[in-house]
Amino acid sequence: MTAASPRPYSETRILDLTHELGPYCTRLFADLGAEVIRVERPGGNADRSRPPLMPDAARSDIAGIPFAFLNANKKSVTLDATTPSGRAVMHDLIASAQVVVWEPGAGTAISLADILAVPGARVVTSISHFGLTGPYAHFVGCDLVDQALGGIAYLSGEAGRPPLRLAGEQSIFVASLYAAAATALALWHSESHGVGHVIDVSAQEAIAHSLQNAPQAWDLEGHVSMRGGEGIRDATENAFRCKDGHVFLAAPLALTASWTGLLGWMKEEGFDGLQTLLEPEWADRPLRTTAAMKHRFRALFERFVAGRTKAELSAEALRRKLVMAPVSRIADLPADPQLVFRNYFQTLPKSASGRDIAIPGAPYRLSEPLWQLNRAAPGAGEHNAAVFGSSPAPMRRTGA
Amino acid sequence: MSGRTTKENQQMYPDFLNGIRFVDLTWAGAGPFSTKLFSDFGADVIKVESRSRPDPVRIGGPFRNKVAGINRSGYFASRNTGKRSLAMNLKNPKSLATLFELIRKADVVSNNFGPGAMERLGLGYEAVKAIKPDIIYLAMPMYGETGPLANLTGVGMTISAVSGLMWQTGYQGEEPLGPGTHFPDHAANPYHAAFAVIAALRHRRTTGRGLKIDLSQVESTINCMGLPVTEYMATGVERERLGNRSAFHAPHNIFRCAGADSWCAVAVLSDAQWQSLCAVIGETGIATDSTLATAMGRLAQIDRVEAAVSAWTAGREASEVMMTLQAQGVSAGLVASSRYLMEEDAQLAQRHYWQSVDHPEIGESRFTSPPFTVDGERVGLKRPPLLGEHNDDVLQGILGYSPERVQALRAEGVLE
Repeated sequence: MTAASPRPYSETRILDLTHELGPYCTRLFADLGAEVIRVERPGGNADRSRPPLMPDAARSDIAGIPFAFLNANKKSVTLDATTPSGRAVMHDLIASAQVVVWEPGAGTAISLADILAVPGARVVTSISHFGLTGPYAHFVGCDLVDQALGGIAYLSGEAGRPPLRLAGEQSIFVASLYAAAATALALWHSESHGVGHVIDVSAQEAIAHSLQNAPQAWDLEGHVSMRGGEGIRDATENAFRCKDGHVFLAAPLALTASWTGLLGWMKEEGFDGLQTLLEPEWADRPLRTTAAMKHRFRALFERFVAGRTKAELSAEALRRKLVMAPVSRIADLPADPQLVFRNYFQTLPKSASGRDIAIPGAPYRLSEPLWQLNRAAPGAGEHNAAVFGSSPAPMRRTGA
Repeated sequence: MSGRTTKENQQMYPDFLNGIRFVDLTWAGAGPFSTKLFSDFGADVIKVESRSRPDPVRIGGPFRNKVAGINRSGYFASRNTGKRSLAMNLKNPKSLATLFELIRKADVVSNNFGPGAMERLGLGYEAVKAIKPDIIYLAMPMYGETGPLANLTGVGMTISAVSGLMWQTGYQGEEPLGPGTHFPDHAANPYHAAFAVIAALRHRRTTGRGLKIDLSQVESTINCMGLPVTEYMATGVERERLGNRSAFHAPHNIFRCAGADSWCAVAVLSDAQWQSLCAVIGETGIATDSTLATAMGRLAQIDRVEAAVSAWTAGREASEVMMTLQAQGVSAGLVASSRYLMEEDAQLAQRHYWQSVDHPEIGESRFTSPPFTVDGERVGLKRPPLLGEHNDDVLQGILGYSPERVQALRAEGVLE
């Protein structure tokens, strides 16, 4: 076993009191050896059955697909925080932890004030949609609303049409990533100086932190960045239809190699659209960002690539140093030659559901095997005996 | 209090990473956004850059009053707060000796070049490790350092394309669009990288050993697509793109409001919220229609449900829609532009999210704070460096070079 070699968070116990925005944060720590313990109500918390569900799940507590991805490598204990003995166990668990990650809202077993009242220097991180203070602190958030109020939806979609949210519930991931980095820094300091810290992460702020240069464009130039990229994005920067799907291209004049490589390729192929692209208007950067030029380039380029597959176009991109790549469907990812070569997808260890499921592998590769996928997401209370049994006080108090 | 110096009420300048030094060769978007977290928390991040081949975001703007200048880019400023700038010509063979001396006094060497670029500069992992065995070495090329597509060149949108994010982002039943920004550069990749560097610092503290971090920006981003990817892996079925709709909740969309380009997101997440929404919009017909009582029923009649919401939002200001629905516990949020966020958003204003930083060439300008508070305070930002501003400080202060020696390096074209 690899347990002999210390991992970055081998000595760290983290209580996971999150249910929506926070589980990816705590998983990042669990993947590097932290003992991450979900503390749940008897029977398990509601995020376990968040849809979509496994097609043939035998047990409802591990049926949720989001749950399976977000809670791998974690432990679960259950207690009834509405009873004095349950609260006492919660108190002891907090006292034993170096980090508590907490999320307000439905399903929260303990208030932040009660967590902070437990003696000891530790990092307590709150992750919420709008932060713990301010007039929107009690707003009901969700991924769509966070992306709207955070400003990313305004920047996506087509001009004149509704703003568009990004796929994959990105506010969960953005909020969790900032929370993880901030928590890790605070823990570093806490360990060396014996002080505790309280981190208050806002998903709205996390989204607003990811708007590229839109805040500076407004502040310095009075320009409101708009979706569609009118006046900003080059006509060549888009997803275009090819033989078996779509390909993304970026060949603005600023990416000289990509633009000249594209022209050279068209010349080699004897493509009749090349003459158009050699006209003086295509040397005019601002003009190239207009809707009219975007329409013209799309018609021309889609005609050029109509007979070529995504794989063929990838090979050309590599050969000619074009910024061009397939617009991969999710279903394409398991066969992506780069991901296959790097053995990216990892199979979750068999859970009680007995299914073999591949999930994304490590988000970064370390030169020692410190990132590990050792356990499927836990059943509700699966680690009650192991966790409570290791700590005499809770054993006494559970009275189970 | 420990761990900070407080400038004013609302801001703290954490020194959590006091004593940690980066030799930071990252440029453009994702790399510098990652190392900025460390300079904001008190690490000495020395940005090694070049005048002959400057960081593209120094050139790209936006600029104060649209006047370009190597030190005037707001985009650069927003990615490089609190760093020091050492301007060197890395193509000058004499630069390497000085850089090696600096690396011997550093903890982390970071870059986001393509595979092989650091090796060509003489700064590959093995070369750096040979002179500083416990170095933490962060590389974050787009597709990873090895493999058949490792040399594919790309930008943030390329990462969106090959990770599934672009395919899944678009209007329902139409073509893929993808995020309007180079989104992976601004979220997934810088913070996965930062988290990995902190882990490596811990590992070195425990074992005395350094680490190499190979962060493929594509692999990092696919983790942030973990929900649709895991769904596909578990079911064998890829869900078609849904625009702003949800497969599980209705209504769940962005609705047009009164005024030009004015919109509000509305998401009914429970059947009780549906009743609250109906009460607000005064549609008794749909409120009492039992076929709409459940999410499944509403999804089956999605056009009818959305038409009712649209009819109500169309004549109202987006802020009124948001405030009215939130008062009844229905999730709603207006679609904020950058102007709105900086000038009008009451939540961000109350939380002092935007902070002003003065700069000798840009003047006072406003930046996003790190998106969290620490012990109730904002992490204050220190101003970004002018190109080569710290050449003398770094070489004299860290390496003990004499002013004459620094001058000689300048004359030789090592310093720029």
